[in-house]
Amino acid sequence: MRSDLRRNWVKILSISVGLVLAGFIITLLLLVATHPSPSAVIESLMTKEIQFAIYLSLATSVISTLLCILIAVPAAYSLARYDFWGKSFVSTILDLPLALPPLVAGVGLLLFFGTTPIGDFLESIGIVFVFTPLGIIIAQFFVNMPFMLRIMRSTFTDISPRYEYVACTLGCTNLQAIWRVTLPMAINGFLAGAVITWAKGIGEFGAALMIAGATRMKTETLPISLFLNMSCGELEMAISAAIILMVISLVSLYVFEYFGGSAKF
Amino acid sequence: MLTIEHISKDLGEFILDDVSLTVKDGEYFVIIGPTGAGKTILLETIAGIYPPDSGTVSLNERDVTFMPPRERNITMVYQDYMLFPHLTVAENIGFGLKNRKLPADEIAGKVAEISDIFGIGHLLHRYPSTLSGGEQQRAAISRAIVLEPSVLLLDEPLSALDGQTRERLRIELRRLHAAYKTTIIHITHNFEEVFSLASRVAVMHQGKIMQVGTPDEVFRHPNSEFIAEFVGVQNIFQGTCKITDGLSEVTVKGADGPHLICSSLCTENTNVTTTIRPEDIMVSCTKLASTARNSFAGTITDVADNGSMVRISVDTGLPFIAAVTRQGWCSLGAEIGGTVYLTVMAQSVHIF
Repeated sequence: MRSDLRRNWVKILSISVGLVLAGFIITLLLLVATHPSPSAVIESLMTKEIQFAIYLSLATSVISTLLCILIAVPAAYSLARYDFWGKSFVSTILDLPLALPPLVAGVGLLLFFGTTPIGDFLESIGIVFVFTPLGIIIAQFFVNMPFMLRIMRSTFTDISPRYEYVACTLGCTNLQAIWRVTLPMAINGFLAGAVITWAKGIGEFGAALMIAGATRMKTETLPISLFLNMSCGELEMAISAAIILMVISLVSLYVFEYFGGSAKF
Repeated sequence: MLTIEHISKDLGEFILDDVSLTVKDGEYFVIIGPTGAGKTILLETIAGIYPPDSGTVSLNERDVTFMPPRERNITMVYQDYMLFPHLTVAENIGFGLKNRKLPADEIAGKVAEISDIFGIGHLLHRYPSTLSGGEQQRAAISRAIVLEPSVLLLDEPLSALDGQTRERLRIELRRLHAAYKTTIIHITHNFEEVFSLASRVAVMHQGKIMQVGTPDEVFRHPNSEFIAEFVGVQNIFQGTCKITDGLSEVTVKGADGPHLICSSLCTENTNVTTTIRPEDIMVSCTKLASTARNSFAGTITDVADNGSMVRISVDTGLPFIAAVTRQGWCSLGAEIGGTVYLTVMAQSVHIF
């Protein structure tokens, strides 16, 4: 075949790969969404079980996201602004839960809260993580904290420390400078990070399963509900849970991109 | 009075090495030096952004070395403005006043007053990103000066601006200093800013202060080879501008009386600094018949060959340095002690 400048095979081939992949994803989503009849979905949504799962998912994911914010924001700030001994080691370790299989994280959490003196102490004062919704929260927190951390770290790195310097010469303490200047400037990264952390939290399964178990109407979040109903053949219920999770992830992804999240991750 | 004694600071990439300086009240002090000389970290140390590794900073005889920035009453303006993007121009300018817990109406009054002085009064409700570079820098300077600081630090405040804006803002800075008598430390690598603004100038290199003095002293009598090379500009003369027959002439006092140098236009009866680049001077053994306005006869006092160019020092009553190509020098056939004519076009004479 004669080569022709107007026919760039690399371009045509690589674009085709992208298009096929996108088509595959859309097909899967449509299959899930169209499998049950709409009336069956609405019926499932009305059941106590799915409503409990929605409630438990929202409650645990919101709380775990707040925890992630509380811990990840200061940690990310320190990694972006200061040099300290062992910084690159700390930085790598904080990202580790990203690469770790959630099941392994879950086993670790189970051992920590089930067999160590710290876990025993917390249990003695009534804070029980094993097989409770609290366990779901700590599992979501542990697995998803790196998302918030990474996004906030690159957001803070992108903001010149000189804004804070100027704020300090204009009468701010260090903390006021962060509060009044850096954090407002970091709002987009903050929102993108919070949304993706929340969305990942709602979908968290493996680690939560390990520490909190899968008890109907007790630790039954949407993914756990999907798993339980699938295992006992309640296909309609399972897919309703799947559809909710799907909608949440689509909306979250849109919001995440809107705030420039992918550039910061 | 700001006194810095033996300040050292190692930030890895940039260092300060035993820096001592005294800046008097109301002085316009310019620090000049090549990139990486440590100029910015010197300003940031004065502002209190980092503690120095050793040495002391004192302000009006009070030791402020380890005092946090907010208690120093020293404000700072950066090259890239650093206006807070989430606040309007008015909120930016009022930021420091709000920290001082002033009542809102008093803040509004002060903000309006300072912004009018800088001609940005009509921009107060806008956000910084919608402003031009010159407007942003005016807002940044307003934000710093509205607090009536003991010392105002300017870190290359004009470097990010285009030529015309830079010139206008430079004139405004001079006006501002004359009106407020604020002590200013201004960092630059632009020689024009030194001559038009500085009461005194310091040259920095590799974290050290190499020389301090009036611009004239430093540029005419560099104390080291580095400075001689760094300042590069030669043929610097101070004089008074006068316009006769539409052409401006500068009267410069020489060793043997006044000399006239024709130049491109300047305003009448102002004190100016003229510079002529050595490359812009034509050297000949006989008087050139040319349309060039400036022709001076003089004696060669020194010749320096630095490879491709030969620098000739000529005394015409004013100490000129001319640069000619090596070939030009050979074909000229002149030597030290001989008489040559220097010819300079009026538009090659720069004035600031």
